[in-house]
Amino acid sequence: MANTNVKEYNPQVSNAKSRLTWLWSEYSVIIAFIIIFIASSIMNPRFLDINNQLNILMQVSIIGIVALGMTVVMLSGGIDLSVGSVLALVGVMTVLALNASGSILIGIFTALVVGSFAGFLNGLMVAKGRIASFIATLGMMAAARSIALYIAEGGSVSGEVKGFTAIANNDLWIFDYPVIIFFAMTALVYILMHKTRFGRYVYALGSNEKAAMLSAIRVDRIKIAVYSLAGLLVSVAAIIETSRLNSISSSSSGVQYELDAIAAVIIGGTRMTGGRGKIIGTLFGVLILGILNNMMNLMNVSPYLQGFVKGLIIIIAVVFQKRE
Amino acid sequence: MTQNLYITMENVKKSFNGVPVLKNVNLQIEKGEIHALLGENGAGKSTLMNILGGVHQPDSGSIYINEKEVKMTNPRISQEQGISFIHQELNMVSDLKVYENMYLGSELRNKVGFLKVEEMCRQTHEILARLGVDIDPKEYVRNLATSYKQLIEISKALLHKSTVIIMDEPTTSLAEHEVNRLFELMKNLKKSGISIIYISHKLKEIKEVCDRYTVLRDGEMIKSGNVEQEDLDTITKLMVGKSISQNRFVHEHSFGPVMLEVNNLTSLGLFKNIHFKVKKGEIVGFTGLAGDGRTELFESLFGYRKKYTGEIKINDQLIKIDHPRKAVEAGIGLVPKDRKENAIIKDLSVIHNMSLSSIGNFEKSGFIQDNIERDKFQYYKELLNIKVHNPSITIDKLSGGNQQKVIIAKWLEVGADILIFDNPTQGIDVGAKQEIYQQIVALAEQGKSVIILSSEAPEVMRICHTINVMYQGEITARFKGEEATEEEIMHYATGSKREAAKIG
Ligand SMILES: Nc1ncnc2c1ncn2[C@@H]1O[C@H](COP(=O)(O)OP(=O)(O)OP(=O)(O)O)[C@@H](O)[C@H]1O
Ligand SMILES: [Mg+2]
Repeated sequence: MANTNVKEYNPQVSNAKSRLTWLWSEYSVIIAFIIIFIASSIMNPRFLDINNQLNILMQVSIIGIVALGMTVVMLSGGIDLSVGSVLALVGVMTVLALNASGSILIGIFTALVVGSFAGFLNGLMVAKGRIASFIATLGMMAAARSIALYIAEGGSVSGEVKGFTAIANNDLWIFDYPVIIFFAMTALVYILMHKTRFGRYVYALGSNEKAAMLSAIRVDRIKIAVYSLAGLLVSVAAIIETSRLNSISSSSSGVQYELDAIAAVIIGGTRMTGGRGKIIGTLFGVLILGILNNMMNLMNVSPYLQGFVKGLIIIIAVVFQKRE
Repeated sequence: MTQNLYITMENVKKSFNGVPVLKNVNLQIEKGEIHALLGENGAGKSTLMNILGGVHQPDSGSIYINEKEVKMTNPRISQEQGISFIHQELNMVSDLKVYENMYLGSELRNKVGFLKVEEMCRQTHEILARLGVDIDPKEYVRNLATSYKQLIEISKALLHKSTVIIMDEPTTSLAEHEVNRLFELMKNLKKSGISIIYISHKLKEIKEVCDRYTVLRDGEMIKSGNVEQEDLDTITKLMVGKSISQNRFVHEHSFGPVMLEVNNLTSLGLFKNIHFKVKKGEIVGFTGLAGDGRTELFESLFGYRKKYTGEIKINDQLIKIDHPRKAVEAGIGLVPKDRKENAIIKDLSVIHNMSLSSIGNFEKSGFIQDNIERDKFQYYKELLNIKVHNPSITIDKLSGGNQQKVIIAKWLEVGADILIFDNPTQGIDVGAKQEIYQQIVALAEQGKSVIILSSEAPEVMRICHTINVMYQGEITARFKGEEATEEEIMHYATGSKREAAKIG
């Protein structure tokens, strides 16, 4: 066997064609983003306006943060349908805690606890109860919304503490806080998924759960952590959402957020069955959705038709990914 | 000879990402022959067959069937040309039933379009019976032992009226009697004019059933000839470039105190009343037929299965293991069998598969250090001769034997005191086998306890100090390694002899 003197891998040897297919398979979402970006700037000159650009970022930040958590859940082979309802519940609880205590810190703390606890319950049902994530989180979706409605008696609750609105409405240089928080969260989740054992374990269990278990990974605990993390990120999104208008609606806040988040994750190239996908992909998936929404508004597409266009884009994205 | 020529592959070249894997390979298959395709791990055997089977496209070269050129642009076309392919890794859908797997993509339908379930079941049953397998066609595949899955995979290839059957390591999880049945069947197929291309690392099988052979080395065709005219040693030399001794390893080290003691371990329907001890530095083998319960026994010991009674002592301390993590913490490691299902994380890179069970070794203040991982992999790559050009590619791009080596490296890295190997040399070539045995002996010399599970008696006889034979969930005999004979082991493994006195 000694004479198998294998030459070291040398990318320069690769012929152009195989490099191109590699580039496409790894970065198709970035390429798609660039194409959509260029097309948009040609179609409408107002698109490139710096205020419009910042506006897009501001608009995607809440869904973006939710989508980060959704990416982790989907990488583990699950799905979380409860994010929108949990966001509403967290918002309501936050406002109540805020008004009762008068302290912004206590408000934020309450938000983080409620969101991650809801996520923890999701994780418990999936990992220990062996309930399919689709079903478990569907239950949570109904339950969380119902509790939010009950507490707020079906209406909205508004904050009475000065300064709370600063979270979503102040800015640093030209960037609004929510945008900064979104990018910071993206960086954190990226590091978590690519530089720590937690991330490694999530990929492993999403790819082959039995082998992950036989590799001495505590699969159940990782799953619980995954859903808790998703809940925590929903909390962050809920704080921003509540702070933006200083109120939250128990009936309409967060509705359909799960669809937008899942759409962003899928456009970003994460595989539905888990094990494969990237945080960076989700970032660009979120931006693509943001640009589409923005363009449809700029071009006066009827709001009733916007869902159709979005649906089309999602399906196209999935069709392209099938050819791996 | 030429009038009998059926398939010719000419000047086939193939590279992946600029790395040449096949360089000008020629292969000639005659009508009605069993042709052995030989070569060490990563030589390009599966790749060549994937080209014949239409899975991969060659960069250049041509394929002729009956002197007519054919282009195998996809697997369907290859199948229409009468070529059936049994892949190296099993491709069963475990949530489907046996007959549904058999007919996947070619279901039988009646005129209205409904599935002819009973007809499919009947035919499935018939074909399986030819291999001596008696299972319910309506059983879910996930409930079956691996050897059955492999036999179903083989039967699936028989379903189509093929003229050529490619068998890429079909016997890796079969027990000896199942292999013999398969060989009977292959000889019958041959008589009816069907050609078989047979890939295996078990040279004894080659001698027994093959007519001609072709050897590949590093993507080049080295030699073709008649199996009868060569002895095993010559073929080995052609494959790996040197002779490999088949002798028993001589051990010169002495044992330490008892490391692992198992008393009265019982799990309903799987194994019962298991007693054994393993000392430090000892290599203990467990062998038997498929379904003897040894895999389940050690999966229980490793905490993967939880429903068992009895006691496990490590270093004389009673411990309870209910999760593989706890087993690892207690110093037990398990290299599982059937890598595709139990060990390979196909979406992770080669390096990340290697480090998965011992990430602590690669962390600094909570963050994984890529460079430590890379250096460590380099070490194992040289130690086990893992053939990989770029270890950042996903592990499923490696040849089967090289995947197995990565899994072994993964568990060597864990550094367990008690290391269990279940069918460790699955798909590994003769040369590399020897190197893995050497690693195992080296572990024992360092004072580790090693347990080896294998259905091949010669394998345990070559390296083990003590050999346990299991039959239907019980240990029926225990031999000293140097005293065991294959024949004697077979008696106990088949249940024709039981001798409680041997145990103790
Ligand atoms: N899809 C792929 N992408 C990149 N490299 C590949 C791919 N498939 C195979 N290779 C490489 O081609 C070489 C030959 O692999 P192949 O599977 O043909 O070996 P093999 O002779 O079947 O070995 P084994 O006995 O271990 O099964 C290996 O070095 C492998 O890493
Ligand atoms: Mg192979």
